[in-house]
Amino acid sequence: MAGVLNRLYTGTGAFDIIGRKRVWYIAFSVLVLICIGSIVFRGFNLGIDFTGGTQIQFPATTAAAPADVEAVRAVYERVIGHEPEAVQSAGTGGAASILIRSEALDASQLVPLKQALFDTFQPIGATGAPELAVISDSAVSGSWGGQITRQALIALGVFLVLVTIFLAFYFERSMALAALVALLHDVVVTAGIYSLVGFEVSPSTVIGLLTILGFSLYDTVVVFDKVKENTRGLLGLTRRTYAEAANLALNQTLIRSINTSLFAVLPVVALMVIGVGLLGVGTLADLALVQMVGIIAGALSSLLLATPILVDLKMRDPRFQQQAARVAARRAKAAGVPDPADGAAADTDPDLADDAVLAGELRKERAMAAAASMPARHARGGGQSRGARTAGKPARPTGKRQR
Amino acid sequence: MASTPGQIRPWRHLAAFVAIVAALYALVFFTGDGSPTPKLGIDLQGGTRVTLQPRTETGAEPPREQLLQAQQIIEQRVNGLGVSGAEVVVDGSNLTITVPGQQGEQARSLGQTAQLRFREVVGGPYAAQQQPQQQPQPGAPQPGAPPANPAPADAGQAPPTGQPQGMGGPADAVERDVAPVAFSRPLQNPTPPPAPPAPGPASPADPRLAAEVESARQMRQSSDPTVQETALLTLDCNARDPLRGYDDPTRPLVACNQDRTEKYILGPSFLEGTEIAGAQAQQNTTGVGWVVSLTFESQGAQTWGEYTTNNVGKLVAFTLDGEVVSAPRINQPIFGPTQIEGQFNQADAEQLAGVLRYGSLPLSFESSEAQTVSATLGLASLQAGLIAGLIGLALVFVYGLFYYRVLGVLLILSLALSAAIVYPVLVLLGRWIGFTLDLAGVAGFILAIGITADSFIIFFERLKDEMRDGRTFRSAVPRGWVRARRTILSADAVSFLCSAVLYLLAIGQVRGFAFTLGLSTVLDLIVVFLVTHPLISLVAKSRVFSNPGLSGLGEAARTGAERRRVLAAAAGRSKGA
Repeated sequence: MAGVLNRLYTGTGAFDIIGRKRVWYIAFSVLVLICIGSIVFRGFNLGIDFTGGTQIQFPATTAAAPADVEAVRAVYERVIGHEPEAVQSAGTGGAASILIRSEALDASQLVPLKQALFDTFQPIGATGAPELAVISDSAVSGSWGGQITRQALIALGVFLVLVTIFLAFYFERSMALAALVALLHDVVVTAGIYSLVGFEVSPSTVIGLLTILGFSLYDTVVVFDKVKENTRGLLGLTRRTYAEAANLALNQTLIRSINTSLFAVLPVVALMVIGVGLLGVGTLADLALVQMVGIIAGALSSLLLATPILVDLKMRDPRFQQQAARVAARRAKAAGVPDPADGAAADTDPDLADDAVLAGELRKERAMAAAASMPARHARGGGQSRGARTAGKPARPTGKRQR
Repeated sequence: MASTPGQIRPWRHLAAFVAIVAALYALVFFTGDGSPTPKLGIDLQGGTRVTLQPRTETGAEPPREQLLQAQQIIEQRVNGLGVSGAEVVVDGSNLTITVPGQQGEQARSLGQTAQLRFREVVGGPYAAQQQPQQQPQPGAPQPGAPPANPAPADAGQAPPTGQPQGMGGPADAVERDVAPVAFSRPLQNPTPPPAPPAPGPASPADPRLAAEVESARQMRQSSDPTVQETALLTLDCNARDPLRGYDDPTRPLVACNQDRTEKYILGPSFLEGTEIAGAQAQQNTTGVGWVVSLTFESQGAQTWGEYTTNNVGKLVAFTLDGEVVSAPRINQPIFGPTQIEGQFNQADAEQLAGVLRYGSLPLSFESSEAQTVSATLGLASLQAGLIAGLIGLALVFVYGLFYYRVLGVLLILSLALSAAIVYPVLVLLGRWIGFTLDLAGVAGFILAIGITADSFIIFFERLKDEMRDGRTFRSAVPRGWVRARRTILSADAVSFLCSAVLYLLAIGQVRGFAFTLGLSTVLDLIVVFLVTHPLISLVAKSRVFSNPGLSGLGEAARTGAERRRVLAAAAGRSKGA
């Protein structure tokens, strides 16, 4: 266990993520299918903002009759003439409040209802005295949620287009595509989990869903940045294949991604606990919940989904296939030579992000290719050749080889 | 590569940051009203928020000009409530009315269309003396009795019962359709309400209000001249007018003008503002100053023509929501375009033209969301938000210290300074652009903690990469910074893009959330560039802090050292990395 943590921390321990991509693909496909199925067949548990209705909330601390759910129901029924849809108590201690939900009431029903509730329970506000003004209410027409959702979908569309443009400029096409797939996965999975669990969907939830997009992309951008760096000049080298370079990048950013998600989730958890604990329901809890689900989905997809897809897309390019073949050939030749530095491959990596180093490496590779008529050597240091000097890091690529 | 990039003078950057913070706080305390509190939304301080959604036949966006006109009219009505701090803002294609405090109940009825009417002037203008108004005793509320609701038939959102406009009661059933029609192209007929029927907070169904209106009607809309006289005497033009928008068009009316300087006794309405086809302010071709030229729809032109023929020499009043906007004298029978002359300057003429053109709100609105938050609940929400923020910060602090040891202190410092810079910006934005912080905004800030911490993590993990490659901490800082900077910038760009899109396109609470998220992203960049990086540079130069055991970099440093050994052994006298 300590070994795993250590490998995580230093980022050199090779967790083979790309190699198991089939596992991830299958897992993610199943997850997405379940989510889509749930969205289609179960639908969502929509809050009053979408269905339209009235919500009344007042402090549970009362000067007259204790405000328990049944008593509140009775008052409602007496004034309105039928049962409310739901009465619940929310929050704890001094912040506890009673929440009534019903179909839309117009003011001619609402005002007497508030008055009756006040007369019956005398809820006490911040001032310590009972007053009518402590009874909050909100009435929403069914079209409001629809309007918010419509705007949100427009925003989602625009955002996707802009992000695609941004990514296409910033990364290459296959990266942009992979990032978008991961992004869509996050949206579908988050929505699906809402549908599966039956969490209530409020406008705040829709907002939260949109902000997840930013976060999920953010994560993916960081991973891809590293991939990009690790694969510079890859085609001219035979050190490792694209898949391996991407896997190394994943390993190097693994702890960062985990940390990022943890750092982001911590405040969200606080938001959720406090939001539910003190307020019971509402904006804070809604936002926190959707963010939490989204951050976890985003972290997983940027690590386990986006990069494998990227590798697959890349490997469809014949150049990368040929390069992978060259790498394999070279390894097959090198396999005859015992290599004590095995496993330390990452340690003796030249720093490919440094232009000077990269140029040197490419020169070296070209020189090796030019010397292809010679018996091949592996260019890695640490090999026990007969000469005093290794072919590892010659001062200059002279093309000469000691025998 | 030379190692010049990434080498900085840390003190200079820190000084710049201190200067920025000092400047911001100076602005907070020494400009404006000097109060260091941000503007809070109604869900944090208590109050009423009503969102009005315009209804157009096609469901298309209403023309902006009409929206702004409607905003102005509703703003006048809100001011009529006499609550300070109330405002009406255009939010996408919606109007949002916010009324802080506990007097907001009436705000729900502000979205009804303003009625422009033409009434005969029976008596007046009389100078408005300031007299205390005898408040009529509100009668007993009659919940559930629809006739007691003098609902102006909000076109397009007429209650299912089809309340006729201005019904005083069951005995007074006057079927009159006052669907407001936009006067400017495109012509819009409000649509019938879709199912399910929208709740009608826009109708003044509050029984107390209804009673108040009813008693005011008895007094001021009586046909009895003696009662009219009394009403004229007792009418206080500066008091809140319960009849605003609830005057019965079929009865006489005792009213003030909009400037609250004159009173009139008016006859019943003979023509509705909906018959106006257009109104324009023009320069007077025959004299000096400005005139307003008015054209009617065919039916209206007919009525207007007949009325002016019969009443040459008399005054005619244009009333908007029961207030006299203007009372010109009829000089001759008018068939066709009408010119209103007066001592107008350009602004006056344009305003009058606007009122005539749009007097009845150019759009019919549906109240899509009406929310009254008690001060208690607002306070509880604010506290909950703050507590959640503090706990979130504390968790991040603890984890940062655990994971990054001494360097975690820098993370904490970066976050604390972010908070220190966010706050004055918030106050200033509230002052300058009226930005109000609502609950969703608070949540946005809390989520931004993660983004701020993340920039730090990117940089820090980069340092570890560099050290794994065998660099010392000290030489890793500039190189790591150059590379981390690129990632931080691009990641923040994505995050900012997301916020900007949300802010520009979304409505309602989404905007507050997006705004704070975007703001945090920008401020995060400032902190990372001016604080985090310089501080780490300083730490790298100090012997104590850069001790690998303390900085949590021990592992990476060991790996780097090992790698150096391997390379040295391998490369012998070669250059090494």
